[in-house]
Amino acid sequence: MINLTRRSAIAAGTASLASMVLGGPVDAQSRKILIIASSQDIPNFDPHIATGYSASMLLRNTYDSLVRVEGNPPNPVPHLATSWTVSPDGTEYVFKLDPAAKFHDGSSVTAEAVQYSFNRLLRLNQGNAWMIQGIVDEKSVQPVDAQTVRIKLVKPFVAFLQVLPWVWVVNPKDVEANKGSDNGQTYLRSNLAGSGAFRVRRAEPGNLYELERVANAWKQGGGNLTGAIWKITRETATQRLMLQRGEAHIAVDLTSEDMDAIKDRPNVVSVIEPEYRTFSIKLNTKHGPLADVNLRKAIAYAFNYQSLLDSGGYAKLMTGPLPDGIFGHDPSLQVYRTDLAKAKEYLAKSKYPNGGIKLSIAHVSGLEQQRRWSLVLLDNLKQLNIELDVKPMIWPDMVALTRSPEAMPDFFCVYQTANYGDPDNIAFAAYHSSRNGNWQNPVYANPKVDDLIMRARAETDEEKRKALYGEFQRIVVDDTPDIFGVIEKRKLALRSDVQNFRFTPVASNAIELFPLSLR
Amino acid sequence: MLTYILRRIVLIIPVLIGLSLLVFAIARLLPGDPIQLAAGPNASPAEIADLAREFGLDKPLPVQYWNYVTGLVTGDWGQSIFTRRAVAEDLKVYLPATLELVFTAMFLAILIGIPAGLTAAVYRNRWPDYMSRVVSLGAISMPRFFLGLLLQIGFAMWLGWLPLGGRFPLTEDPPAFVTGFLTIDSLISGDLRAFGITLQYLALPAFAMCLSPLATITRMMRASTIEILQQDYVLTERALGLSSRLILFKYVLRNAMSATLTVIGLYVGWLLGGTVLVETVFDWPGLGLYATKAIVTQDFMPVIGVTIVIGGIFIISNLIVDLLYGILNPKVRYE
Repeated sequence: MINLTRRSAIAAGTASLASMVLGGPVDAQSRKILIIASSQDIPNFDPHIATGYSASMLLRNTYDSLVRVEGNPPNPVPHLATSWTVSPDGTEYVFKLDPAAKFHDGSSVTAEAVQYSFNRLLRLNQGNAWMIQGIVDEKSVQPVDAQTVRIKLVKPFVAFLQVLPWVWVVNPKDVEANKGSDNGQTYLRSNLAGSGAFRVRRAEPGNLYELERVANAWKQGGGNLTGAIWKITRETATQRLMLQRGEAHIAVDLTSEDMDAIKDRPNVVSVIEPEYRTFSIKLNTKHGPLADVNLRKAIAYAFNYQSLLDSGGYAKLMTGPLPDGIFGHDPSLQVYRTDLAKAKEYLAKSKYPNGGIKLSIAHVSGLEQQRRWSLVLLDNLKQLNIELDVKPMIWPDMVALTRSPEAMPDFFCVYQTANYGDPDNIAFAAYHSSRNGNWQNPVYANPKVDDLIMRARAETDEEKRKALYGEFQRIVVDDTPDIFGVIEKRKLALRSDVQNFRFTPVASNAIELFPLSLR
Repeated sequence: MLTYILRRIVLIIPVLIGLSLLVFAIARLLPGDPIQLAAGPNASPAEIADLAREFGLDKPLPVQYWNYVTGLVTGDWGQSIFTRRAVAEDLKVYLPATLELVFTAMFLAILIGIPAGLTAAVYRNRWPDYMSRVVSLGAISMPRFFLGLLLQIGFAMWLGWLPLGGRFPLTEDPPAFVTGFLTIDSLISGDLRAFGITLQYLALPAFAMCLSPLATITRMMRASTIEILQQDYVLTERALGLSSRLILFKYVLRNAMSATLTVIGLYVGWLLGGTVLVETVFDWPGLGLYATKAIVTQDFMPVIGVTIVIGGIFIISNLIVDLLYGILNPKVRYE
């Protein structure tokens, strides 16, 4: 019989607890699970509703599209479609599908599924629908046979292949079986109907999403990952520490300070690359004092671009409306740089030669960079005897202000990320008058600019297209609808045991798992 | 006593109704348009109107409130505008995580704070007292998020003893969900290893969270004990030759606990409402983060749900404290 005293029982309990406590967790490496630390949750799995980089990460790994985007600069490469042809006028595309492509339930990915997916995206008119809105309608996508699909564009659109990576193909059988009264939105919000190399194994909203490689996936090859975990880590400092400690393999939301802190750390690789993400300050060109182009020019010259850059971390100044590196960008474009003499010269030509006015700027509350840049502007405007009212606001309220020129403040801070690697993305969204009333282009309208944008998106000859964008950039700079700010560099870091990572300046933090390996 | 308990429980109902009315009114009357945000920047006015109709936000406010309150009773706490998930389902996941953290922190604070306060009082103006005063002052002054970062650097980065954050190893499946408390669920499933791992993950956030109540409890306990020790009846007991241990634990401790209990009751509610910083630093998927995200996006159904839950727990914890007064102090009778 064991004589167990209270003291010995406590000692035994403590010892066993200690042994448990000191026992480490199971090693993730044995299963080759890649852990990505990110601050963004994945609120919706529906490929025709969800947007944002976290959802894009999930979708690009669990669904397939006709083409993928790869490289720097980004190029469309075969995916579900093994090949395609384009008609000489650029309005008709014929895609040959990979006969091996299978959905997760084992059924084939057919031309009908492609047609169904395009039409569902158009019908819901959410998510990435804007990318093909007005370019494709419900009659455009027609199956030729089970493995061939023809897409006839409503009007020519040179960047069509660039947007296709973001049009996901769903399994019609699966969606129809769970269609409900909302086109399957309730079902697809938390279920998948895709053909991607991975599927969701575990979803803990607000905490983590675990993907596992689909057994017998149609697409062979790729890296050795058996799964991946998207770990929601709000604090970027914690993301950094997780990376340093090996608890995460990739951290996607690091700040400039974090990047400085991990510089030269063992087993950590920094990725600081220019991306098509711009910050600019939109001006109210239609209502109020800034409707005066000379006043806009005066302010553009008075602005301290060096201060903007200094407080921007890893960034570079924009030269015009298009981000550096994108097709058609003109690096030699003459843009505004700080010149107080010229600022005063233009102010004298304006309706407010002595200043004496009060303007307002709205920025997103909580975004420190935007606050700092607003203060830079406040300081610079004092030199023109102009006061500035800085209004921090939450984003939905800011968006509501852009509905009319009267409601819009004089200045409006905007980050804009290109969703596809073509100048049309930014040119059309941010400068075409059909986008007025939208946050990307609340008020700016110039018929000549509209014409250039529409001609450029239809022009198949590269040189001519480049010339059109050159003209577009010169006119926009002269109109001064924005204070062109900075292009922020993408900042992410990975462990050195992550292999085959290739940076692409489009959706670079929506990590594509298929090619990656863990050593 | 039974009548008192019943009366207090019945009184909770109008308090909760008042709370729901207040929170609902504030959440709905704040400037900003959550529907606009949820519909997305490219939504047309017609799509925004459709979404408002879907969530019943096109109806008059009194009707919206009535629908909400009747839903509360039937278990329908509304839906998040953004995730479209049921708030009640979300609360089932996030609330146990936060409660586990808060209860562990309070357990540690009481376990250490009461003996520390007693010791400081007994050894007044001697080194244990000085030490407890310095530690309490430091603990109460240090911001929790900063302490959390220090703990992470010390125990996770330098020493490597404990994980940086989270509730359970990412690559392992947690114990089957029964209560949502991983410590309890791991014991229910008989998995002692999982229990040990859960404690590992709890250690740093619970410690970061416990310091503030620990300091307050220590100081409160010290002050109450010193006051009691100076009472005439303690002198009498000493004169009668009772042992110091008997006097301290039987006559002083019980009386000194009354004031400390009030603090403990208040702290449970305070910690519940203030977990967000610790949850952020340690990636603890709890109520604080859930509520913060909802507040930032003006997703008012989760905001109201969280407020009502925290308010409810606050009320219950204070009711328990009130009842404990009667048990601890025979002078406090409720009949």
